[in-house]
Amino acid sequence: MATVTGYRHRSSPAVVARRASLRSLFLLVMALLALFCAFPFIWATITMFKANADLYNPAHNPFLFNQPATLAHLLLLFQQTPFLTFVKNSALVGGAVTGLTLLGSIPAAYALARLIPAWGDKLGVAIFMVYLVPPTLLFLPLSHVVATLRLQDNLWSLVVVYPSFTIPLSIWLLMGFFKSIPRDIIEQAQVDGCSLIGALVRVVMPLAVPGIITVMVFSFTLTTQDFIYALAFISSSDQMTISVGVPTNLIRGDVFYWQSLMAATVIVAVPIALVYNVFLRRFIQGFTMGALKG
Amino acid sequence: MSDVDTEAEKLTRRVETAWTGRLSRREFVQKAGLAAVGLGAGPYLLAACGGGAPSGGGGGGAKSQLTILQWSHFVPRYDTWFDAYVKQWGEANNVNVKVDHINQADLPARTAAEINAGSGHDLIEWIAPPSALEPSVLDLTDVVQEAEKKYGSQLPVCKSSTYNPTTKKYFGFCHSWSPDPGDYRKSLWTKVGMPNGPLTYDDLLNAGTAIKQQTGVRVGIGMSQEQDSNMAARALLWSYGASVQDANENVVLDSDATREAVNFMVKLFKQSMTNEIFSWTAASNNQGLVAGQLSYILNSISAYRTAQQTRPDIADDIFFRPALQGPTGKGFASEHVILIYLIPKWSKNVDKAKQFLLDLVGHTSDIVYQSELYNFPAFSKTNAQQKLFGSGGWLDKDPFGSHPANKLDLLKNAASWSVNVGYPGPSNAAIGEIFDTFVLPNMMASAARGTKTVDQAVSDAAAQCRQIFAKWRQRKLVGGSS
Amino acid sequence: MSIVERTVGVRRISVRGRLPERPGFLGALMVSPAVLYLLGLVGFPLVLSFVYAFSDVTTGNPNVHLVGLSTFAAAVRDPVFAVALRNSFIFTFFSQALVIVLSTILAFGLSADFPGKWVVRFLILLPWTTPVALGAVAWLWMLDSIFSPFDWVLSAVGLIHHGAHIPFLGQARLAMGSIVVLQAWRMLPLATVILMAGLTSIPQDIQDAAAVDGAGFWGRLIHVTLPLLQPIMLVALLFGIVFTFTDIAVIFVLTGGGPDNSTQVLASWAFYKGINGGNLAQGAATALFMFPVLLGLAVLLLRIASRVEVT
Repeated sequence: MATVTGYRHRSSPAVVARRASLRSLFLLVMALLALFCAFPFIWATITMFKANADLYNPAHNPFLFNQPATLAHLLLLFQQTPFLTFVKNSALVGGAVTGLTLLGSIPAAYALARLIPAWGDKLGVAIFMVYLVPPTLLFLPLSHVVATLRLQDNLWSLVVVYPSFTIPLSIWLLMGFFKSIPRDIIEQAQVDGCSLIGALVRVVMPLAVPGIITVMVFSFTLTTQDFIYALAFISSSDQMTISVGVPTNLIRGDVFYWQSLMAATVIVAVPIALVYNVFLRRFIQGFTMGALKG
Repeated sequence: MSDVDTEAEKLTRRVETAWTGRLSRREFVQKAGLAAVGLGAGPYLLAACGGGAPSGGGGGGAKSQLTILQWSHFVPRYDTWFDAYVKQWGEANNVNVKVDHINQADLPARTAAEINAGSGHDLIEWIAPPSALEPSVLDLTDVVQEAEKKYGSQLPVCKSSTYNPTTKKYFGFCHSWSPDPGDYRKSLWTKVGMPNGPLTYDDLLNAGTAIKQQTGVRVGIGMSQEQDSNMAARALLWSYGASVQDANENVVLDSDATREAVNFMVKLFKQSMTNEIFSWTAASNNQGLVAGQLSYILNSISAYRTAQQTRPDIADDIFFRPALQGPTGKGFASEHVILIYLIPKWSKNVDKAKQFLLDLVGHTSDIVYQSELYNFPAFSKTNAQQKLFGSGGWLDKDPFGSHPANKLDLLKNAASWSVNVGYPGPSNAAIGEIFDTFVLPNMMASAARGTKTVDQAVSDAAAQCRQIFAKWRQRKLVGGSS
Repeated sequence: MSIVERTVGVRRISVRGRLPERPGFLGALMVSPAVLYLLGLVGFPLVLSFVYAFSDVTTGNPNVHLVGLSTFAAAVRDPVFAVALRNSFIFTFFSQALVIVLSTILAFGLSADFPGKWVVRFLILLPWTTPVALGAVAWLWMLDSIFSPFDWVLSAVGLIHHGAHIPFLGQARLAMGSIVVLQAWRMLPLATVILMAGLTSIPQDIQDAAAVDGAGFWGRLIHVTLPLLQPIMLVALLFGIVFTFTDIAVIFVLTGGGPDNSTQVLASWAFYKGINGGNLAQGAATALFMFPVLLGLAVLLLRIASRVEVT
């Protein structure tokens, strides 16, 4: 049986007991953290089926259906708003931006980490400065750029602009990963006859796969997070992403369609989390600390 | 439990009807999407055929373009009607029209982006006076004059929200507005001996306190960084004879009247409210009223209409009062929402845009009806006057199911107690900045929370206002001298 | 290849030789697309933001008219500025401290084996996979002054009066706490994933070597794993700090900067003043105050990170 420590010792009852209670503590902590992260979604899942008369009555238990659950709010989300269009748009933009990010940042990160390390830090700081101007102001001059490129009200405007905030961190992350791959491995590959690029592709990349997966996760989710650029560049319903489209349709003046908003939240978050979980599992599975040695 | 099921079904149908109105929204969205694609491709195809830039006039049968940006109306059927109306109008006038809706909280950012980029929509509808945008929009004096010829004089509240006396320009065209009555719970107020609700602020204080002591139900006047709190602060100040500026755009906030008003608000808070009111959004007072936890709020009829759908039992108990009177014997409330179209200078289809505005006023009765009486006419002789204000009209017999049917009839003279946000002066850019940075609700809040004394709160707020006024005066958009 | 190298056999890395083999040239080539893109897209707006801060532009009139330092002076004199400056630090520091502690626990926990691990991993990803515009709205309802389920639970277990409401967003300290927790909640998954990835890319041989050398679990943790994890940790921390310092989404949705501007941060105040209020120049000036802080932080952390390197 794999234990927390991963080793099998000859154990006295006291040690066994201590280990058992440590393990219980560990499980409790993990459960609490998971609950902390997931509680809003669990609650949102209940709320989205609640009838109005049930929801807007503060005397009612918010976790129970005091009146029969209803699909009306889900139907409203799907039939009365172009929700699926928003999802499609967000997915398209996310995918395109992730691809561009990888394309731009993998070579750059490797270069800064291994090829031109003298420049590495300086350029790294400079690239990093991109984050220092908040999107809350940057969106104005960027609107200018987008208009000049005649991309106003077009999803491509987002694809052009979003890498500006995904690439810097991706370069940073990958620099970190590339740096933690020992030089000897690269040198060995070159000794074995690879060119520099060959070494990068055949030896380094496979080792950096966790980092690349991280960058993909990061890019995709960061693009779905944005709303200020999406708001500034796009106003047609059919081009809107989730962040702009859902509030536009479900927050009308001083009326919030809470249940439908909750539904949108859950429907967007859960599938993405499931997909990422699968990704993470595949590549992290083999590396469980100590468990294989125990 | 079939009764409950039927109730749920009824509720569902009500919600859906509210959304769809006449035309199925989905149908419209599909058609609009196709139209948008066609619009997007069309001009470039034309240009490729050597037709030149897609713009104005109808020479050679080519349709011109018009794009409109506005908020998602809180009544979804209004948007459904409007989008369909716009399409019809476009066909009748040989124009390809596209309407885009966004969340009203996002309007300033979106408009700023378009102005900065120098391109975007031909018509943008704001729900508050866009006075700061004057340098980038067209002067619409001609449209206003034309409209007044056809539809009677424009209401003072609408004029003063769109006219800048310093530059003598109309920076926007107002086609309708929303009054801000008080909503009160009749059953609770009857128990404390005021079945007809409050007439003065003192009534509100006394009865509100009694109701809270007896039933725990609070008064719902916000002091948060949101719109309703802005309106409430102003209504209170005006009823005490105080204001941010005078008629000549001089800052007069630090007056005894202001201090009295703030003192009153502190008392009202301590006796009849809880500190929930410091964390409100624009929806909070609606929701509190619908939940039965508030005895009085200041809001447009949006809260009431929501109640009719979600808690009809409470809706039947909600009644209305005009602006509360202060020690001056007068009561004023701000317009809750004022619908103003602006035409940016870059618009390539100005004539059609102006035409659209004029024609829109001709459909005021639709505007009023489709908004479920939320939008009121801005002009005095539209096709809505009789239908809305006439005897036996919509205010006498609410077509949207009020019990009793004449519940809304006090709104007939709403224009007499409604003023613009800058009263007694115009809604200038300084007033706009003060409004959008919540100077007045924060003044009230800091006094009520005790973080500042009343005197300090008032003088700090006045200093802020002076700074703001000074800056806009430098930009020559605001008059006055102090 | 030179004759010498061919004769001797390739036993050394050849620095001279074919162009694509030169690390310097290749490096520059590989970096240039990213650099050019960023320069072009962000460089110009960055400069423009600086220019705005020295002018009197408004949202209605973006024509630049330089006015020297008076806009900066006005920005600093604004009574909300000091509050916003202080809050920026508080908000960032506390939320990121929370993130780093919790994500480290989670990352290490998830690299061990336990029943239900898959579920935990799925659940902890949720906060980041939802667009903040929606997630924050969900929290807005959860912290509502009348309908909050937290109030309900607390009063059901008797911790608060029946029917009482906690002003999660209406009382200054609680409001700040709420936005700190929400920001931490939001950033936790990302930091965890970054740290997890960092953990797994520590080659197993090093772990094994340490184990063979007799290091116990905690020994390995402290003396081997944590130091190796440092570069990644610092990247995660740095990004979290920079992102949080300039982010307004949580504040925009939950409190609007209230009550009475007590949860305003520099970024959000810049937005409300500059965009909603129309005073674009002052907004830009306010925003620029974030620069020196972030730059200083960045340089500091980068110095530390560059000293740690695996050879």
